[in-house]
Amino acid sequence: MPKLETFPPAHRWPGQRFVSDISAGFLAHQIWRNFAWEEILSRYHRSALGLLWIVFGYAFFVGGIAFFFGGFAKMGLGSFTIYVAIGYACFQFLVANVVDGCAVFTGSASWIRSTTLPYSIYVYKSIFRSLLPIALQLIVVAIAMLYWQPPLKWNIIFVIPAFAIFLINAVAIQYLCGLIAARYRDVTHLVGTITRILIFTTPILWVREERTGVIGLVADLNPLTHYIEIFRAPLMGDDIRTISWFVVAGFTVFVWLAAALAADRMQRRLAFWV
Amino acid sequence: MYKLSAKNVSLVFPLYGNKPAPDQLPTNKKDSKQQRLIKNTSGAIIGVKALTEVNLDLSGGNRLGIMGANGSGKTTLLQVLAGILTPDAGTLTVRGHRSNLISIGLGLRPQATGRRNIFLSALAAGHSKDDILEKKADIESFSELGEFLEMPVSTYSAGMRMRLSFAIATAFDPQILILDEWLSAGDAQFKQLASKRMNNFVGSAGILVFASHNPALLKSNCNLGLWMKDGQPEALGAIDDVMAEYQKFNGT
Repeated sequence: MPKLETFPPAHRWPGQRFVSDISAGFLAHQIWRNFAWEEILSRYHRSALGLLWIVFGYAFFVGGIAFFFGGFAKMGLGSFTIYVAIGYACFQFLVANVVDGCAVFTGSASWIRSTTLPYSIYVYKSIFRSLLPIALQLIVVAIAMLYWQPPLKWNIIFVIPAFAIFLINAVAIQYLCGLIAARYRDVTHLVGTITRILIFTTPILWVREERTGVIGLVADLNPLTHYIEIFRAPLMGDDIRTISWFVVAGFTVFVWLAAALAADRMQRRLAFWV
Repeated sequence: MYKLSAKNVSLVFPLYGNKPAPDQLPTNKKDSKQQRLIKNTSGAIIGVKALTEVNLDLSGGNRLGIMGANGSGKTTLLQVLAGILTPDAGTLTVRGHRSNLISIGLGLRPQATGRRNIFLSALAAGHSKDDILEKKADIESFSELGEFLEMPVSTYSAGMRMRLSFAIATAFDPQILILDEWLSAGDAQFKQLASKRMNNFVGSAGILVFASHNPALLKSNCNLGLWMKDGQPEALGAIDDVMAEYQKFNGT
């Protein structure tokens, strides 16, 4: 016999709603894995090359950037190509978290209004779906690295914790952006405006170490710089700056706290907003 | 024993971005609908009192039919009972797994085939992979979609989608089943099949909550009746009594 439940459940400590939603959703991984896969399939439905478009498209893009911008950088063409390939893949993944995050709940409106699934399922689904493009883009990176053979060091193992940090951040960022954008529809447009600027203020198409003064300062004030560097530096054979770890750790704690607070206040009303 | 009860459940539907209409004339007429709108000091509508102080107590074997005019709060009540909307005040007490079919076709993936949708919808309803594989044949045969199950759901008619959704929702021996009006979109033969299926599972001590405008459907599927009026229960009791009262009020 199922147990007797009372709704809404008692709310004992701040953040409880968020934590229970996040954990219940994670355990239902069969649901979000299957739905993410379904969305990927339908996106490339009736396309002959299908997912190969991501690989070709990215190789073409990176090659073009390296050709046009390589002359402005002091580093060699091989290093610069790898630099762009890693940096842009990370940039896209991180920014997509914010952009997809804004639509994570509104895009699942029909589900939110017809099922009682934990809301975090839509977040996990969205993240799982976005793992595919970055995985395919990293194939391009791997090919470039095999060709140019950058001088790697033991610290290459840092790419694993770095990517884990990307994923941990993705959960909180998408949840937070999803809630805010569902209530305040202007946020989606604001995010679009900001990301257009970020592509220039983040060291992806230019090399931070080669710039001093205002540009270097802008790069350091941009948290994305540090996120990208903890992943890119070990793959280029460079050391990760301590300040990058600190910025990333601080920002991670901040977004998780913000998401928990927002969920406590807003989650109950989400079904009305989407 | 399964249980579904609501205690003093109230809900205001919040509305956003409504500015007071400049051409709105001041009015003295007070009909019941106007009293349900909540306005701020500048006259903009900020919410609708969708449900006010609803009390219900259902246990195993109860089949509740909900009737009422459009906008009387039937669907909102179903959404609250299903756990989709959280009420502003009051509590729900539930024992048993709740399945709902409130919006037809919602939750179906249009690009995926009917067969794939059976798997996805059943997963989303909280069933395990093994359970789904076990019930798959039953769902496929009850839906009577035959070879259309190989086609994407986007090619289905409304009636076909409904058959599929209904087959999925009722296949897993639902303990508490919450249904909205849309059953009447089916053809006569399907209505009969659906009634038979619902009777079967309610016979096994489940609870049914069913909103409809169709008196015959309500009478054949329910033993209790609830008449909703302006977001409040107007009458609750045996289906025939409540139905008679409701029809008398409507002059039919």
